[in-house]
Amino acid sequence: MPLILNNLAPIHWALAGAGIALITLALLFIANRRLGISTGFEDVCSFVLPIGYFTRDAVRLARGWRLPFIVGLAVGGFLSAVLGGGWTPIWSLGIFDQVIGFGHAGKLAWMFVGGLFIGFGTRLADGCTSGHGIFGLSNFELPSLISTISFLAAGIVTTQFIYRVVFHL
Amino acid sequence: MALLYLALGAVFGLVLSRSGAADYNYIQAMFLFTSFQLYGIIGTAVVITAPGLWLIKRYGRTVSGRPVVVPRKPRHRGNIAGGILFGIGWSICGMCPGPIFVNIGEGKIYAVAALAGALAGAGLFGVIYARIQSAFRLPRLVIGTGGAGSRS
Repeated sequence: MPLILNNLAPIHWALAGAGIALITLALLFIANRRLGISTGFEDVCSFVLPIGYFTRDAVRLARGWRLPFIVGLAVGGFLSAVLGGGWTPIWSLGIFDQVIGFGHAGKLAWMFVGGLFIGFGTRLADGCTSGHGIFGLSNFELPSLISTISFLAAGIVTTQFIYRVVFHL
Repeated sequence: MALLYLALGAVFGLVLSRSGAADYNYIQAMFLFTSFQLYGIIGTAVVITAPGLWLIKRYGRTVSGRPVVVPRKPRHRGNIAGGILFGIGWSICGMCPGPIFVNIGEGKIYAVAALAGALAGAGLFGVIYARIQSAFRLPRLVIGTGGAGSRS
């Protein structure tokens, strides 16, 4: 299955997994940083919401590395497009377009609602796929195992519900 | 150092972009059990990170000779409830937090809406933290000590 981005062929999963592992280890070994991306939402919030939760030490003291890191993620995506057939604004959303078929406004609303779940859920769980799923599991942390099972299970149930019950693939 | 973090983020973003981890179809295929790709990526990452992490902790020093401290995340009722909410959002958007930023870089317009939602959701959580703290047994916030927070 090609990627939505310029119909590129994806790299092998083992190569991708190894790359993610090396960056995770490099962050720890070079800078003593625990990989975690969803806390970056708080870094951004902390600029506009100077309330207790966003002024706590864990946010204040990590902005210096996490903000450049998440900007880097976007730069990586941009380079990936430029180096792989060129950058152009993309609206296509794969099987969503084939099966659900909302227009632009509907797609934006859909994504905003999903984003609310992501933002609130990752803060309540205290981590996402990176902080719990990769770093936490690799460090044999029980809360990370519990969270990872929870978000994988909820993702499976939600997608099965959307694509096998409400909209038939 | 900021440039180093930006560079590491860019390589991470490239890998996520080209592997399917930032691709709506691949996320749905993972949850529909029609593709092994994402399970393979996460599994390989953990299988390689775990022994590396163990070695770094055993060696106990960063490359510059500073002691390595790995903060552990606290266990509370939010692990399950928050995990479930996040999983629903991951399925709806076909993106987890890292890929939201990667997709914006790739030029996927709708990812900007996902980011706006995620920031609003995180903001809402911060605003009501004190009110849901006891229900979910969330840790006390450490503010203004200059040291590492209990909640990372």
